[in-house]
Amino acid sequence: MESLARRKPFFTPLLFRKIHKWVGLILGLQFVLWTISGAVMALLDMEKVGGHAAAPSAASSSAWPATLAPPPLPGPVDGLLLRRVVNRPVYEVTDRSGVRLLDAQTGQQVTVDRTLAEQVARSAYHVSAPLKQVTRLEKANLEARDHAGPMWRLDFADADNSSSYVSAVTARPLVTRSDTWRTWDFVWMLHNMDYVNRKSFNHPLIIFVAFGTLWLSLTGFYLLFKSFRRREFRWVLGPWRPEAR
Amino acid sequence: MTAIRWPLLVRRTHKWLALFVGIQVVLWTVTGFYMVTVHIDYIHGDHLVRPAPGGAFSPSNLVKPTEVVASVPEATELRLQRLLGKPVWRAETSKMPVLIDAQTGTKLAPLTQAQVEAAARSVYTGDPTIVSTKLLTEAPLEMQTRKPPYWQVEFAGWNRPTLYISPTTGELISRRHALWRVFDVAWMLHIMDYDERSNVNNPLLRVATWSAVAMALSGAWLLFWSIRWRKKKKA
Repeated sequence: MESLARRKPFFTPLLFRKIHKWVGLILGLQFVLWTISGAVMALLDMEKVGGHAAAPSAASSSAWPATLAPPPLPGPVDGLLLRRVVNRPVYEVTDRSGVRLLDAQTGQQVTVDRTLAEQVARSAYHVSAPLKQVTRLEKANLEARDHAGPMWRLDFADADNSSSYVSAVTARPLVTRSDTWRTWDFVWMLHNMDYVNRKSFNHPLIIFVAFGTLWLSLTGFYLLFKSFRRREFRWVLGPWRPEAR
Repeated sequence: MTAIRWPLLVRRTHKWLALFVGIQVVLWTVTGFYMVTVHIDYIHGDHLVRPAPGGAFSPSNLVKPTEVVASVPEATELRLQRLLGKPVWRAETSKMPVLIDAQTGTKLAPLTQAQVEAAARSVYTGDPTIVSTKLLTEAPLEMQTRKPPYWQVEFAGWNRPTLYISPTTGELISRRHALWRVFDVAWMLHIMDYDERSNVNNPLLRVATWSAVAMALSGAWLLFWSIRWRKKKKA
């Protein structure tokens, strides 16, 4: 083999075979993980994974009550909304002190307690399963990582172990996660190699490995042309006269 | 019958699987490399826009939300925002949102082309030269599932930066540029959904991915087999 390589030019199939083997040895594990995690993500039903679309709106189409009062706001605000929390009209006020909800009929501040959070989650995500546990989070956990601020986590006793997240400030439904999503998120982590936040696919590690893997696939593709003989295609191409090698 | 020659069998499996999915594996690694290299925030065009100029509101001097719901009873939600600097109430309805002048209480007509261009320029960070402004009633491919009508405002530049503006509220709906469009093609090739570019559960992808798993595992087997085989030969 070696004497053969010496007589031939530098760019020989042997060189490419060596590159293919060495890159395979160093980065092969991640390549295997990419194929497996990709295949699992292709299998997991997108609809069940969910979480990609914006949270469903909990707005109802019933008429506004006649008892609606203007917001009791003497000073300037950065933002003002009139909306409904389940069926209750509220003002969502943003000013220097942050965001708060005011009842649009009485003007009193609305606290998003666990009962209200449960009503919001049930109406937004159409859950009828019994509630297992309610937790207040001051900061988002890994599952609700796309959202900020304090929130309620509501775990339901359904088949897919759904957890719904509701903002403790605005009472908006944020996101709902299930075991299918959790499986998906784990393999997505293997795919994007962001083992801490599971979010970024633009970090130096993945760029380095992806660059190396380009060599694995390109040399492999080249070697395809060097690894087959015509007789191996006799079953499709039919018999052939002896090769003129 | 002789015993199965595993190395030969696995090598053949690896080779034939590679022949079957090789082109797709090359496409996966090439498109994957593009997607990890160009930052997703850049792809999303975050650099093309800035927040619309704002400032605080004084609700006591403006039309009351109670008056707005009286004139637009079908509103499901009201939001105080700005249209080209002026305060407006945006009323969400089951159809298109409606804008109400927050100083006079009158319903505002859909934006004119000049207003749309002004709104686009107020958020665009690059060269403010507009190449074309069109009101679209059919969604172009790059707007995916977003429902028209909207204005398409294209700015001058090699990457053809394009902002999509709401015809009733003047808000920025979406932004696109050349690298986003390349990313979209890369994504299409990566997930092998050539029609909608969004279905990651299509049968073609499932067959190709599991074939790639078998190809990768047979390759890994060959690698470890070849290492052990060499040691034995030397010993």
